[in-house]
Amino acid sequence: MKRSFKALTLGVSAVALIAGAAAAEMDYGSFDGYTLRVKLIGGAQYEPLYAEIGEWEEMTGATVQILSRQNHFELDREIKQDIAAGTLNWCVGSNHTSFAPQYGNIYTDLRELISEDVLAEFVPLVLEHSTVGGRLVQLPRHSDVSNLFYIRSLYEDEENAAAFEAEYGYPLAPPETWEQVRDQAMFFADPPNFFGTQFVGRDEAITGRFYEMLVAEGGQLFTDDWEPAFNSEAGVRALSWFVDLYDAGVVPAGVPNYLWDDTGLGFASGSVALNLDWAGWAAFFNDEDESAIAGDVGVTRAPMGSAGLRTGWSGSHTFSITETCDNKEAAASFITFLTDHDRQMVEARRGLLPTRTAVWDTAMGEFREAGDDFLAEVFETFQTSMTEDAFTPPLIAEWIEVSNELWPRLQSAMVGDMSPQDALDKAAREALIIMEDAGYR
Amino acid sequence: MFRAIRTRQTTLAPLVLLLPAFTVMLFVVAMPLAFSFYTSLTPYRLTRPESIEIYIGARNYIRLWDNAAFWAAFWRTILFLAIALNVELLLGLGIALLINKLTWGQRTLRTIMMFPMMFSPILVGFQFKFIFNDNIGIVNNALQSLGLIDRAIPWLVDAQLAMFSIIVAEVWMSTSIFAILLLAGLLAMPRDPIEAARVDGCNSWQVFRHIPLPFLMPFIFIAMTIRSLDVARAYDIVHVMTGGGPAGRTELLWTLIARVGYNNARMGEANAMAYVSTLLSIAFTVFFFRKLMAARRYMGGAE
Repeated sequence: MKRSFKALTLGVSAVALIAGAAAAEMDYGSFDGYTLRVKLIGGAQYEPLYAEIGEWEEMTGATVQILSRQNHFELDREIKQDIAAGTLNWCVGSNHTSFAPQYGNIYTDLRELISEDVLAEFVPLVLEHSTVGGRLVQLPRHSDVSNLFYIRSLYEDEENAAAFEAEYGYPLAPPETWEQVRDQAMFFADPPNFFGTQFVGRDEAITGRFYEMLVAEGGQLFTDDWEPAFNSEAGVRALSWFVDLYDAGVVPAGVPNYLWDDTGLGFASGSVALNLDWAGWAAFFNDEDESAIAGDVGVTRAPMGSAGLRTGWSGSHTFSITETCDNKEAAASFITFLTDHDRQMVEARRGLLPTRTAVWDTAMGEFREAGDDFLAEVFETFQTSMTEDAFTPPLIAEWIEVSNELWPRLQSAMVGDMSPQDALDKAAREALIIMEDAGYR
Repeated sequence: MFRAIRTRQTTLAPLVLLLPAFTVMLFVVAMPLAFSFYTSLTPYRLTRPESIEIYIGARNYIRLWDNAAFWAAFWRTILFLAIALNVELLLGLGIALLINKLTWGQRTLRTIMMFPMMFSPILVGFQFKFIFNDNIGIVNNALQSLGLIDRAIPWLVDAQLAMFSIIVAEVWMSTSIFAILLLAGLLAMPRDPIEAARVDGCNSWQVFRHIPLPFLMPFIFIAMTIRSLDVARAYDIVHVMTGGGPAGRTELLWTLIARVGYNNARMGEANAMAYVSTLLSIAFTVFFFRKLMAARRYMGGAE
């Protein structure tokens, strides 16, 4: 059966997936009467894809039983409990490139189940990020990288331009460096009514922001032999960027508690000039019913740090198949269907970044044809970013644990309890213990 | 011989009748407790089930001794408990006394008073997170509109204000538990001693101090015991409002334990923390039960 599905996909994909146009013709096999048990990530951004599941059920004769549908942090806990209790009696689970290394060998190597021809249609870098210990344990659904959104009218205002140039000595334009973001945030801020910029301030969110800033400043999280190295000069420069803006009051006072919803909704409320965010918000920002800045949103590639590198912390939402699955062929058919050309277009229309190369072109063509130049520009910017700037956190099981030691210390520096150097030194000591306990050193 | 059989039956009968209860207790309470205690003596990680077989003695407990974050959360939980319980007691007592005075609409008010208890703690957390949001929250907007402040107050960030905000949410949700229990006490209280005291010329404070208050003390300690167990395991509201942050400023025992146990998957270490935390709950329960017994002895005229 395994061979037959793989052969099927090999044969069919060669003729049917030209430019992605004929994805619907692909034969997903027949699994009459089989019930596929799955655990999926839930939430407004993720649900529309699940409306397509009925089509797969109709094509294959199988039934999908969704055992769990909750946010990724809750799902992560549930999966860990399943591992501990030995109750991995389900087949497909939502996964994420940052989380996958924690789960050991519970997920199967998809290269044994999905043909190389199908995999070749995915962006190679994204597949690379989905590989843990040489095994492709995830099939990427959509990707995540951040770029800079800004309120366009602020930059078109001639008075602003003249005043900014007089004060900072260079013309006002969407920023190319994080130093310029700092200048412009200071310039635009008028707290408590209007803020220059904002950032997420807790959990893995702020760890990731710090990490990408550290890379852009020329630093690294760990040395080659896994000694924490983020308490370097580059680390202090990276953290000071957040601390300085917080001290100056040009970001909302509550940012240490902000997560993605807070920054997205805050920018859409029109009270923030510059906002680094993922493309999933783009359609929302430009929606007249939802956003106070609809029609006035610009997007530019994530700025560079002092090392000349752009920030590009990236990850992908993915699907994995458990080793204990009783019908891996059905599971492979299911996740191939959920990540095929047409299904990725369903998500791309909502601003989610595709993981198949062809979908980028189809989506941008469709946006232009519909006269949605903004979404087309967003996709162009994010495509460049995914190709040239994207990098993941270290794909090690201890990433989340190290992050949990790091982010409270980043907050300590932000709210003034510790200096940036002391905060990073303390986090580095704690991270070292984790790495030593895990046998890296 | 018949007597011997009857005696054995008499001896066995209670044991047989109690057996179902003991069995349930064994499987639902004793075994999970024993298992989790055993895991606290191992480096058990959820993602590495085989680690449960490695016995490391008291190492998790010894590590806790030097764990500053744990002890900070421990003492913060005690402070949180002390403030929340006392504020809830005062407000609950006030509400109960006021409602007890009513002669019309008391039932309706009693029902309305219980509304906060009907909300899930997670919803209460989201509600107060929005109320205290620095940018779009109604508290800051109201204060700015009234011209009382010209900068946003970081309610959920400032070291004192963040705990204050969480306590406000906790008190809002749970004061009615005190109010209901104390109102039940007031309704059960005989009226004659109060009328006699008034005839003897006692003022309102003297009457309250010497008659309703001693009568209510057992009810107060029962409410304190129940709520101390509740507050000592506070998690949902804190998790939603601040996640224990920023910089650990609102970290309580159970937000820390959940992070260590689930996010970091170090269940052995988390269970050691949980056992030490359970000692805190036991200490509070013993303290309040002793107070309860003392109050009952006082009511019975023993003191």
